[in-house]
Amino acid sequence: MKALPAILALIIAAALFGPLFLPWRYDAIDWSAVRVPPLSPGHVLGTDSVGRDLFARTLVGTRVTLAVALAAALVSLMIGVGWGALAGWAGGKVDEAMMRIVDALYALPFMFVVILLMVVFGRSIVLVFIGIGAVEWLTMARVVRGQVIVLKERPFILAAEAAGAPPAGIILRHLLPNVAGIALVYLLLTVPQVVMIESFLSFLGLGVQEPLTSLGILVKDGADDMDIAPYALLLPGGVLVLLLITLTLLGERLRDRMSA
Amino acid sequence: MTLYAVRDLTVRIEGRQVVSGIDFALDAGECLALVGASGSGKSQTCLAPFGLSPGRAGGSAELLGHELIGLPEKTLRGLRGREAGFIFQQPMTALAPHLKIGRQLAEAWTQAGAPRPSSTDLSETLQRVGLPRPAELLDQYPHRLSGGQRQRVMIAAAIAHRPKLLIADEPTTALDAPLRAEILDLISRLRAEQGLAMLLVSHDLGAVAAHADRILVLNEGRMVEVGRARDILEKPNEAYTKALIAASPRLSDPPPDLPATGTPLLEARRISVAFPRPGWRRGVFTAVEDAGLTLSEGEGLALIGGSGSGKSTLARAIARLGPMRAGEVSWAGAALPSRRDIRPSDRRHIQPVFQDPVASLDPHWRVGDIVAEPLAYLRPDLPVAQRKAKVTALLDEVGLPPDFVSRKPAQLSGGQAQRVAIARALIADPELLLLDEATSALDVLVAGRVLELIADLQRRRRLAILFISHDLAVARRICHRIAVMENGRIVEAGPTESVIARPEHITTRRLVDAAMKANLST
Repeated sequence: MKALPAILALIIAAALFGPLFLPWRYDAIDWSAVRVPPLSPGHVLGTDSVGRDLFARTLVGTRVTLAVALAAALVSLMIGVGWGALAGWAGGKVDEAMMRIVDALYALPFMFVVILLMVVFGRSIVLVFIGIGAVEWLTMARVVRGQVIVLKERPFILAAEAAGAPPAGIILRHLLPNVAGIALVYLLLTVPQVVMIESFLSFLGLGVQEPLTSLGILVKDGADDMDIAPYALLLPGGVLVLLLITLTLLGERLRDRMSA
Repeated sequence: MTLYAVRDLTVRIEGRQVVSGIDFALDAGECLALVGASGSGKSQTCLAPFGLSPGRAGGSAELLGHELIGLPEKTLRGLRGREAGFIFQQPMTALAPHLKIGRQLAEAWTQAGAPRPSSTDLSETLQRVGLPRPAELLDQYPHRLSGGQRQRVMIAAAIAHRPKLLIADEPTTALDAPLRAEILDLISRLRAEQGLAMLLVSHDLGAVAAHADRILVLNEGRMVEVGRARDILEKPNEAYTKALIAASPRLSDPPPDLPATGTPLLEARRISVAFPRPGWRRGVFTAVEDAGLTLSEGEGLALIGGSGSGKSTLARAIARLGPMRAGEVSWAGAALPSRRDIRPSDRRHIQPVFQDPVASLDPHWRVGDIVAEPLAYLRPDLPVAQRKAKVTALLDEVGLPPDFVSRKPAQLSGGQAQRVAIARALIADPELLLLDEATSALDVLVAGRVLELIADLQRRRRLAILFISHDLAVARRICHRIAVMENGRIVEAGPTESVIARPEHITTRRLVDAAMKANLST
């Protein structure tokens, strides 16, 4: 368990800087080596069906997946914290109404919503960020609202009111800093979910577009050639699994530490 | 006959020695009180030999000739179940919420090796601890019971199997004043009826004085003094014992010398507060009804009542920190705007200090910023450069060194945190301090010192004080007048000394009786 942050750091570092040290770009085609197996000269992990270096593609794919995940998680953090804090602070009917909206959105099949967005507005990577972030903030909003309701009753909030602090000041200077810890933990738990969604969308061909790649696209391409070149599926698949497990375990461990 | 003997007892927690060199012997039918501040090792001394604490006991503890220390857990469990009964501090958490009262009581029997009791046996036990309609109670879940009732059920469970030794670890600390006296009386009565020996753990010397034969005073895990209860109280030998006795004010003390009062400041008339009832049923719950009070410069007014009597709700409504449905509040003759409309310049007059010192301070802020917070809003006229000097001056006034400004609340003790909260309340020079049970979450010695600080500030700053408490003797130390609350109404009000001498309302009489019982001279 101690190795989790190290594994995550290694994956991120490799995704960010790895491609700089490779002779092949992720979209460069090596006509002399189409679909070669791993450990071939010049291609450590082989090439895909059109001769692109798999190692370079996996590193760039990881980078894109992580970027999408982080951006979408940040979008969900901002909407979720804002919505949750407002509902929790306002209380009463406002809270009721705001949380019923969250419940209603929960009830929608969210993958369907994202797919609809893609179909209506076209396939762009920015839309992937927004679309995923827009459906992932619900849990965040609930968590933050719960925290705010608990904090609101604490005497230090009353003391701030007695000190003449306006509501905005109390929310910004007392509530949000105290919610930040738990919100960051849920942010970390949101990232693997977003990685999953992104990969799934890309697998369906709705996410990131060729020649740019992501782990989802690589898994899809690998799956197409699974019977003749299993390594093309196993490598990005393995990275995806490792990334998901590391992020989830790390998030859960932090959450347990926060609640202990 | 010696029932339980402890010789050279030591307790270690994670390698740290928290208790050492404790010796005492307990005869059948005798009551020994273990008294000390929190962290003095009194609970460890009682519980560790029975394997009921994380600490590891060393030395010797003999119950009825069986050496407890070093026994395997299984044997210990049997002995514990048969021969000893335990009562703990928290009646709210000591009962399993999903089991009916009858089931939990029956468990006490079967664990002691007795056959399953009939429901008549169970009813009888509940009757013995003074619970009315026991047959109905057996069929109820713990959440339907009040704190006092739960503690009675716990006592019933502890004595059900007729143990020889009863160990009560702060049995009344979580209850309010009138209940405390009742529960201690009940324990004493049962002890006499059954000839039980008892170890009574408490931080409050006064409370246990009337019930214990002997008292053992503990400090930092060591014995300070042991002797007959009366001797310890009247002629304490050690400075620590003297400090403990002096820390809590008593009704038998001579009336304190209170500062003179000045012009009227606050007047509240016909205050009512109601909350919407939770759940599906429509309607409101009336927390305060038609209550009024006045306060003058330098005057102390105590709002006394049991938990749930509406005293905090009333005070918060007046200070514009809580909801209010009807009524008027005026400050120096002018109406005080409602909570929604109040401006910082009006907020400056009334500042609160709350019960839980740690929860009163934002854990992310430093002490310097916490104390300075009101200045930014309540004294915008003060140049920023002078704020720092003002913070240092205030810290000094509440008895904290200036280098505390860079500390975080987590680095403060309870007493220090409460001093910081007082400094924050005073920094904008309010005329009225609202003290909501401000000393009751603190340890005896610390509470005594904080109370002295408050009395001192009252005199020096000519502060009006609205003092919310369930403890008459503490309130009397700084309050000229008393208002007693019950069920949201003020049932009796008047000058402190005459209310204490001639209580009229039944609630007041119960409170005075309870405070008298905690009196050392009885």
